[in-house]
Amino acid sequence: MTITFKKGQSYLLGTLLAAVVASPFAFATEASSQEYPSSSETLDWTIAFGPGGGNDIMARTIIDILGKYDLYPGEIKAENRAGGSGAVGWGYLFNQSGSGYGISTTSGSFVTTPLQADTPWQPEDFTPVALLATDDLVLVVNGSSEIQNIDQFIANAKENPITIGGTGTVNVDFIVPTLFAQKAGFEFDYVSFNSMSEQTTALLSQALDAMVGNPGEILGLIESGDLRPLVFSGQNVPAALEGVPTMGEVGHDIGVSMPRGLILAPDAPAEARDWWIETMKKVVETPEWAFYIESNTLTPTVIYGEDFRTFLGNTKNGFREVLKQVGAIK
Amino acid sequence: MDIFSDLVMGLSVAITPINMLYLLIGALVGMVVGVIPGFGPSAGLAILLPVTFGMDPIGAIMMLAAIYYGAMYGGTITSILLNTPGESATVASTFDGFPLAKNGRAGPALVMQAAASFVGGTVGVILITILAPLFSQVSRSFGPPEYFLLAVMGMLTLIMMIGTNWKLGVISALIGFALGTVGVDLETGQGRYTFGSAELIGGIYFIPIAIGLFGLGELFFAFYCGLHKTGTGSIVQYDKEERFWPTAQDWISTKFTMVRGSILGFVVGVIPGAGATIASLMAYSMERSLSPTPEKFGKGEMAGLVAPETANNAASSGAMIPLLTLGIPGSASTAVLLAAFLLWGLRPGPLFMQQNPELAWGLIASMYLGNMALLAINIFAIPLFVQLIKVPYRVLGPIVVVICAMGTFSVHASFVETYLMFAAGIVGFFMRLYGFSPAALVLALVLGPLAEEALRQTLTISRGSFMIFVERTPSLWIIAVTIALVVLLPLLGRMGSRAKKVEQAGG
Repeated sequence: MTITFKKGQSYLLGTLLAAVVASPFAFATEASSQEYPSSSETLDWTIAFGPGGGNDIMARTIIDILGKYDLYPGEIKAENRAGGSGAVGWGYLFNQSGSGYGISTTSGSFVTTPLQADTPWQPEDFTPVALLATDDLVLVVNGSSEIQNIDQFIANAKENPITIGGTGTVNVDFIVPTLFAQKAGFEFDYVSFNSMSEQTTALLSQALDAMVGNPGEILGLIESGDLRPLVFSGQNVPAALEGVPTMGEVGHDIGVSMPRGLILAPDAPAEARDWWIETMKKVVETPEWAFYIESNTLTPTVIYGEDFRTFLGNTKNGFREVLKQVGAIK
Repeated sequence: MDIFSDLVMGLSVAITPINMLYLLIGALVGMVVGVIPGFGPSAGLAILLPVTFGMDPIGAIMMLAAIYYGAMYGGTITSILLNTPGESATVASTFDGFPLAKNGRAGPALVMQAAASFVGGTVGVILITILAPLFSQVSRSFGPPEYFLLAVMGMLTLIMMIGTNWKLGVISALIGFALGTVGVDLETGQGRYTFGSAELIGGIYFIPIAIGLFGLGELFFAFYCGLHKTGTGSIVQYDKEERFWPTAQDWISTKFTMVRGSILGFVVGVIPGAGATIASLMAYSMERSLSPTPEKFGKGEMAGLVAPETANNAASSGAMIPLLTLGIPGSASTAVLLAAFLLWGLRPGPLFMQQNPELAWGLIASMYLGNMALLAINIFAIPLFVQLIKVPYRVLGPIVVVICAMGTFSVHASFVETYLMFAAGIVGFFMRLYGFSPAALVLALVLGPLAEEALRQTLTISRGSFMIFVERTPSLWIIAVTIALVVLLPLLGRMGSRAKKVEQAGG
């Protein structure tokens, strides 16, 4: 059977078809915009890492703030689904595609794990709510070093071979100094450690020339003069590191940082996304959030919605490029 | 007496009814998380961490620290009774603890482990009190070359463990080393034998392997031997009440073991990253090389239980040194404590003890009290635990399987690791049957990656030159100590045993 339509007819039918197809969606949209978030639905909050870690603390801080200011009407069930550097937890959220009630916080592994393993999801697949802060790194040398500032450091590195330590290879710790060295025009050997504490003792024991790390964990050593901060990778220097220049200020901006943000399941209803964007705008204004940012020395970098998706994509591609260059990934 | 006044100040902070309550809660929780295989102190800490948000930091830190060292007490109980290490630092305690129980000495073994834990913990706190600044120098002198040498020292332990049947022992160790290569290569970031699985990125964790090899392996072997058919019989014999307390001989023969184990454990604990597990394994092998009767080790020698037990508790005290004096966490558990400090807005680092004397000394003082409380809890709890082994084996067996599975799963919530644990159980059974050495496998799995990573870091730093090992003073010290341990101690031991034999012959 073949059906041919004249122009007018087809327009009419097309509209009709569109209305028929769209109507359930329109209805659903209307219902959920009225109801989202429905107090009868439990919010399933996935924490892709174990208790006590950075991701866990961020998730629970947000949940505390939501509770304290009565921002979320329903029940929130937060569950740690650790395993496979986040692959398990975010995989669980990935499987809730289409739901507005699956939510999770991101951290560095959200970008790096898919680069290392065959995860069914990519960072851009999820519905982005907001980037809330970035983890940036500070480059430090031993406090007894003759190098006093970043200019001396770069000058020295151009003359002598140096080593810089960091945690892991498929990680911002490797990418930040690599990009910085490319821009500043020096070479170095990267020494990869399993944890911040191992690399810190290696630097204190004079085995390393320098290292990069999250300022929060080494502020005490910086304050006592055991470590000397030279340059900071973020856009804004945290109060505790006042006087330290950023990489941009010394003319070698690298524009890479680890995203700490909030995501919903893939293809979540737009109402859910919009509701969360509005809510997060309130959350980041609270004193509790300010305290969290300060005590963890994060850089407050807030972008919402699709911009966050773009940010994730850029970060991932930047990482992939550097890692491919050095042969860490294929 | 500065230290003394600091300590009195610390005690005055610690001894308030509410803080004592927190301390007791922490000690009890620590005991419990220690007893459950796989579920270690870091998991216990992390779960209780959110509870402490609204608490006064002093009470909170006392409670959290008590969980940490309390787990060292609890972890041994299942090592002795079920051959299943409650947590990683008590793997070495199965080597002689379980044979002791099998020989009908479960009661004395449990009492001795509590006493050894108490001695180790208390000696550790005394050393913190007196020598914290000195030992903070030790923790800051360790770089990759020193870690490599430390791992080599640990590998000498392997030779001891391989024992008489060296071919099977070497094969066991090689399997361990091979398993240790799985995971993303730290230096290049490339996956090795991960087959794209996200769960294997971090490598094969040794806890599921240890639980499987020791706990399930032993269980399967017991079924193979038909123990489930005998009505009241259990693999562990517990005869009479009079055998509950250790004999005078137990105390006398282990008094120096306790001292040695405490000091070694503390020093290793001070080194960030080495931790209680390596301390306990090293203490075991040191004791064995010193012993006039090394052939009795592994067959129920009290010193073989006491050495790792004092060492792991002393190490858990030692791990407080880098945390308090440098702000560097030496282990997963102290990393959670560090996170707690940060959450309360404190800034751990070299100035921490000066800036927060009440908190630091309150914590140190509470550790004396906590160890006493744990000793008391243990002595009272032992008769209860001993009841456990009166349960018929056909009932106990399935419970052990469930506990092993739950414990393994609770660590990383990983099914892959749980399957690995069951696979290790089957392998462990055959290893047991044919005389392989599960202990050598586990040790190789722990030390292999450590040695590989540290050596590659060292050679990157030195640009391929091995001279770095003799150019650095701390490395030279470790080399000297290793030579002393390998060459001199067995010699001394042999001379001692010869002297004893001469004496006996003469007398």
